[in-house]
Amino acid sequence: MKLSELKEGDRAEVTSVGAEAPVRRRLMDMGLIRGTELEVLRFAPLGDPIEIGYKGLLLTMRLKEAEGITVKKLPVLENQEPAGGTLSRILNFRRG
Amino acid sequence: MAAMKEIRVALTGNPNAGKSSLFNVLTGSHQRVGNFPGVTIEKHEGYIDYKDVRITVVDLPGTYSLTPYSPEEIVTRRYIIDEKPDVVVNVIDGTNLERNLLLTAQLMEMEVELLVALNMIDEVEDKGISIDTDQLEKLLGCHIVPTSARRKQGLDDLLDHIVSISDGHIEVRKNKMTFSPVIEAAAGKISELLGRERELESANHRWMAIKLLESDREVYSRVKQYPVWVKVELALQEAIMECQRLNSTDPEALITEDRYAFVRGAMQECVRQPRASRASVSDYIDMVVLNRVLGLPVFFVVVWAIFQLTFTLGAPLMEGLAFLFSLLARSLGPMLPNALLRSILVDGVIAGVGSVVVYLPNIVLLFIGLSFLEASGYMARAAFVIDKVMHRFGLHGKSFIPMVTGFGCSIPAIMATRTLKSRSDRLATIMTIPFMSCGAKLPVYVLLAGAFFPPAMAANVMFGIYFLGIVVGLWTAWMLKSTVLKSDSEPFVMELPPYRWPTFASVVFQARMKALMYLKKAGTLILLAVMAIWAASNFPHSRDLDARLEREKMRIEASADSPALKSAELLRVNSKAQADQLEYSVAGRIGKIIEPLIRPIGFDWRIGISLVTGVVSKEVVVSTLGTIFSIGRSDSAAGGLTSILRSDPGFSMATALSLMVFVLLYIPCIATLGVMKKEIGSWRPVLLYTGYVLAIAWSASFITYRIALLIR
Ligand SMILES: Nc1nc2c(ncn2[C@@H]2O[C@H](COP(=O)(O)OP(=O)(O)OP(=O)(O)O)[C@@H](O)[C@H]2O)c(=O)[nH]1
Ligand SMILES: [Mg+2]
Repeated sequence: MKLSELKEGDRAEVTSVGAEAPVRRRLMDMGLIRGTELEVLRFAPLGDPIEIGYKGLLLTMRLKEAEGITVKKLPVLENQEPAGGTLSRILNFRRG
Repeated sequence: MAAMKEIRVALTGNPNAGKSSLFNVLTGSHQRVGNFPGVTIEKHEGYIDYKDVRITVVDLPGTYSLTPYSPEEIVTRRYIIDEKPDVVVNVIDGTNLERNLLLTAQLMEMEVELLVALNMIDEVEDKGISIDTDQLEKLLGCHIVPTSARRKQGLDDLLDHIVSISDGHIEVRKNKMTFSPVIEAAAGKISELLGRERELESANHRWMAIKLLESDREVYSRVKQYPVWVKVELALQEAIMECQRLNSTDPEALITEDRYAFVRGAMQECVRQPRASRASVSDYIDMVVLNRVLGLPVFFVVVWAIFQLTFTLGAPLMEGLAFLFSLLARSLGPMLPNALLRSILVDGVIAGVGSVVVYLPNIVLLFIGLSFLEASGYMARAAFVIDKVMHRFGLHGKSFIPMVTGFGCSIPAIMATRTLKSRSDRLATIMTIPFMSCGAKLPVYVLLAGAFFPPAMAANVMFGIYFLGIVVGLWTAWMLKSTVLKSDSEPFVMELPPYRWPTFASVVFQARMKALMYLKKAGTLILLAVMAIWAASNFPHSRDLDARLEREKMRIEASADSPALKSAELLRVNSKAQADQLEYSVAGRIGKIIEPLIRPIGFDWRIGISLVTGVVSKEVVVSTLGTIFSIGRSDSAAGGLTSILRSDPGFSMATALSLMVFVLLYIPCIATLGVMKKEIGSWRPVLLYTGYVLAIAWSASFITYRIALLIR
């Protein structure tokens, strides 16, 4: 599946980076390569771009760019609290 | 004294690794530093004399890899390849080793005299990360010096190493990266082919071969010129097929993966990170600031707060300064017997330059606010939050960063657009920047809003003006992008840096620098403009008017009125004579020519003259108003420019609003036009743009003026 199809809080592993040539290059230079495990941290207030976290790095990109990255969804960890616990739950207006 | 040895050292590394900070503490320079990627866009040189060696240090734009992506990154690679510095210092962010070492791996491949500065060692220690530098040195084959630009740690150690490397006391072992067998085989074959080409004899064949496998455009076009290309191309195609067959990917990706494998191996051996179990402070802040619901409101509140701070906090300070100047004018006036000299000093210098200097507090506060945005790490986040909106208008989230810089000054902002890759996005962004109201326009608003609106409203009026600028800027961009600058949108990929507190020392320093720069401008450019305006509004001198004044004076003296009436009458004819003289002067004549053009938007010829002079620099609008409006006003020194304008028949709230809108939108200052020309490459678009902004400014002012008249 594509990175752009993931939901907030999902974890996934990159299976291939296939965006257009220069973007692809940039994404790989930022450490997004096959096998990278990442977490979708959030979408911007207007729904685009997306922010992901991996290897202690915070990266943002438009959904258009995220479409070029194929990922394999990883199971949610058993004891995985949403990063930030209570605060994050309070602020997550949508999920109530 | 013996001639000093001279060496050149280049600072390279990922964006935001602290190169410029390190450069500043090493050389005592003041290059711009900010907590977001892409602050430095040009190379800067500085030097330091250390142990009888003159070390020229070159600060380069940050780059994620040596295959350049945006214009400013090309500078870096060209410098390393073409200028061959004696030592290349790779500045790496110790808290982000994995990504930073990827560039190190690429520098290793270039076989340069490499030295690693493990920067941000203070943050590394705070986070409890332990790095075995001895082991890492062995793996990388070059020396590693821990540094902290913020705490000024490890600087001497770094300089010692630089000197020793250039002396040959320390040898850089230049370890070779080993890639996957497919790549190694292809690289061996291609570099052997390249070696046969006589013209390429001195080049680094292996490096070129790897770059060709990475589809590097520059190396491609270089090799294409030679007959050997035919064979090289075949070898490349073969490699691509082999790579697909054996590793089910392409050489470019495989090479990057190999580098990462190397880096990760090194990390596993040398780095111990504590398991990050809890969210960091940065994460907590982001939960609020980037929140789906709160994100946009937070953004608007932040921007609004900066302007509120600039105006509200600045107002009492400004009034204090204004009081001092009026005191000066009042006490100096009577001490000067010569009327001409008194006019130069009181009407010219004090009224003109003084009227600009009083806004020093506002300017400094504005810049403190902006530098807080830049240093805290919010800037990149704001770009993330606002990207979608910018995209609607054909711009880019990254366009937002230069636009904010533009609230300070258009010149660095226009240069900062170099971080945008696509030319059409760059041009569109450049065209929006002059609408982002710069610091030089601030005095105009503070003066006019302060004079014609109650204090509680003034800050909001100003905010409205800024907002109008943003709207017109975005509209301009949208228009350009949907007509002449049509193109695919540039991709948006941006890293968010961790939040950092700006150090108190750096804020104070910044504020002092800005204050000095502003005063220097007031004492040079603006003083000059003021003198010119004073001269233009006093000469040529009309003898007829003098004679008429004398006649009227005599008539009044001879009349039978009471002494009180006489002196009032005298004051009146004096003012009248001065006003007539002003109209007779060069300034008056020029003003009269343009007056018909600006009458419909509510300006008389005196405002017209200030607008013409304002093209030099926008503060000059205020200083010219100060000079021209105080001529012929006996009370000129009393209440400052604010009260003069309030009581002048040529000014009303509608005029003030219209003037603010006009100053916001009309021709950028000369220096900005120059930089626009330099960045765009030719005058034609700049001239067209100038015509466009004039038309926009006139129309917007017309509408404003007419509506304001109706409301009143
Ligand atoms: N804690 C800490 N912060 C640092 C250190 N060096 C730099 N910084 C901060 O890191 C941020 C980036 O610094 P810059 O010097 O602008 O980085 P740069 O490498 O020149 O960045 P570009 O010009 O964008 O390539 C700033 O907020 C600095 O204050 C350090 O040694 N310790
Ligand atoms: Mg820099």
